[in-house]
Amino acid sequence: MALVSVAYAIHIYLMSSPLNIQLLDSFGVSLLVDELSSFFIFTNALVTAAVIIYCWQTGKKAFFYVQIAMLHGSVDATFICADFISLYVALEVISIASFLLIAYSRTDRSIWVGLRYLFVSNVAMLFYLIGAILVYQAHNSFHYAGLRGAPTEAGALIFLGLLVKGGIFIPGLWLPLTHSESESPVSAMLSGVVVKAGVYPLLRCALSLEEIDPIVRLFGVCTAVLGVGFAVLEKDTKRMLAFHTISQLGFVLAAPLVGGLYALTHGLVKSALFLIAGVLPSRNFKQLQHQPIDNKIWLVLVIASFSISGFPLLSGFGAKVLTSKNFLPWQVIGMNIAALGTAISFAKFIFLPRQKSAQHEVKKIHSGFWWAMGILLGGLFGANIFYYKAYTLANTIKPLITIALGWLAYLGIFKKLAIKLPRGFERFNHLIGTMSLMLILLFWMLWAQLQFST
Amino acid sequence: MLEACVFATVLCGFLGIILKHNLVMKIISMDVMSTGVIAYYILIASRSGLFTPIVDNKENVAYADPVPQAVILTAIVIGFSIQALMLVGVMKLAKNNPTLEASAIEENNTP
Repeated sequence: MALVSVAYAIHIYLMSSPLNIQLLDSFGVSLLVDELSSFFIFTNALVTAAVIIYCWQTGKKAFFYVQIAMLHGSVDATFICADFISLYVALEVISIASFLLIAYSRTDRSIWVGLRYLFVSNVAMLFYLIGAILVYQAHNSFHYAGLRGAPTEAGALIFLGLLVKGGIFIPGLWLPLTHSESESPVSAMLSGVVVKAGVYPLLRCALSLEEIDPIVRLFGVCTAVLGVGFAVLEKDTKRMLAFHTISQLGFVLAAPLVGGLYALTHGLVKSALFLIAGVLPSRNFKQLQHQPIDNKIWLVLVIASFSISGFPLLSGFGAKVLTSKNFLPWQVIGMNIAALGTAISFAKFIFLPRQKSAQHEVKKIHSGFWWAMGILLGGLFGANIFYYKAYTLANTIKPLITIALGWLAYLGIFKKLAIKLPRGFERFNHLIGTMSLMLILLFWMLWAQLQFST
Repeated sequence: MLEACVFATVLCGFLGIILKHNLVMKIISMDVMSTGVIAYYILIASRSGLFTPIVDNKENVAYADPVPQAVILTAIVIGFSIQALMLVGVMKLAKNNPTLEASAIEENNTP
């Protein structure tokens, strides 16, 4: 099935005119497929294929694969639909499927984490539904374009739902615990593609309505800085990766026009990193410092970390250059800070000790892991072709300087730093409470925006 | 007036999710909230009229809008299945946490 998706994504990319399907006139389901969705579908296909190959030898039951297939299908559905109700249905199917995947191990902790996820996303989707009916009331249609003439509160409610689903800014703080406590393949899937399902509609709205564009960009910058701030100080590998997902989603949102390529590289790299984090001997950076890891694992780890920090030859570089070309002037400072933070946080991975061959290796790594890595990292090299114009001298120097600065900062300051961040914001009640605050903020922002534009 | 009642229901449900300590109560509050949302859909559907949209001999009666009703039917089914799933999860959790206090469960299960 993943192969079908790959083929379809390539087909769409080569197709010149976007496909716009309207089933059953203005009341029915409408689908919109174009270049942006082709990037997202391609990501989804590669990540799913890698995760399935990774899991093949781990003896998971058929139930697990059925859930993966359902998740894959519904994520694809969000990438092509163009009206609020089919989006709602797809997002809810995603919540159910990912709840079952998170709770697959049936331990108390996994059930609680899954329950918390389901709760947060369902409450957000209820707000979203109210917004959707307000759009319908204004236009007698649920199409995305209806957001333009709809009342302000409709926009605020729908945005709240999507921000929570996509794990963006403060309402997205449910994400670190959920992603770090589930099993590695599941976190790879969640972090690689599922959060994109919330981000993609936001991009769509930003592209079709220019009033919303600045708000989405602003959220992008705030998210990128916030996420990376947490990631730099985090001591746990998987939590660090999860916080970093938040910050990368910020990058995707910060430049809506070219978000597709960035989402593709981030999806590939993040799922690769989560799968690697699953085979590392420990989850704590302190312990990893004393426990040398195998050379081969270190190599793939370094390739992935380099790509995400934007090192030339890997597609993370092309995506970063392309994104930064599309920034507005006020965004540049924030995004440069975020890029520096990325380099700092991934220096933690790059400077891990290593050794030739580990005889005392406890866990035998099965060949599925290497195949999955092959797909994901091959995708990273291959994705360069989408934007080969990036390779000029000036473009190449900037990320190198950023990375060098980041490493220096890591070795000089952050390695010794031990700040424990409060986790109060991740408490369940606070997550729900922040939603209401966010709603007020969004309403105010949209209102102000509309006042100025008219 | 009716609209105000509907929004009050949604708000009650939302506050219930935050303020109630028991996990089952939280789920019930979520149900209250979704009931409010469903009622709002019905309210909007009935703006144009109250008659059931079925073809009949009578002519020119004010029909209710069928689209929001059809849409909310989907949402009801989804909400119901999610609730069932959550209650199963709560049953599992109840074995080790008989009181089902959300804060206690959170304390035990956060690293």
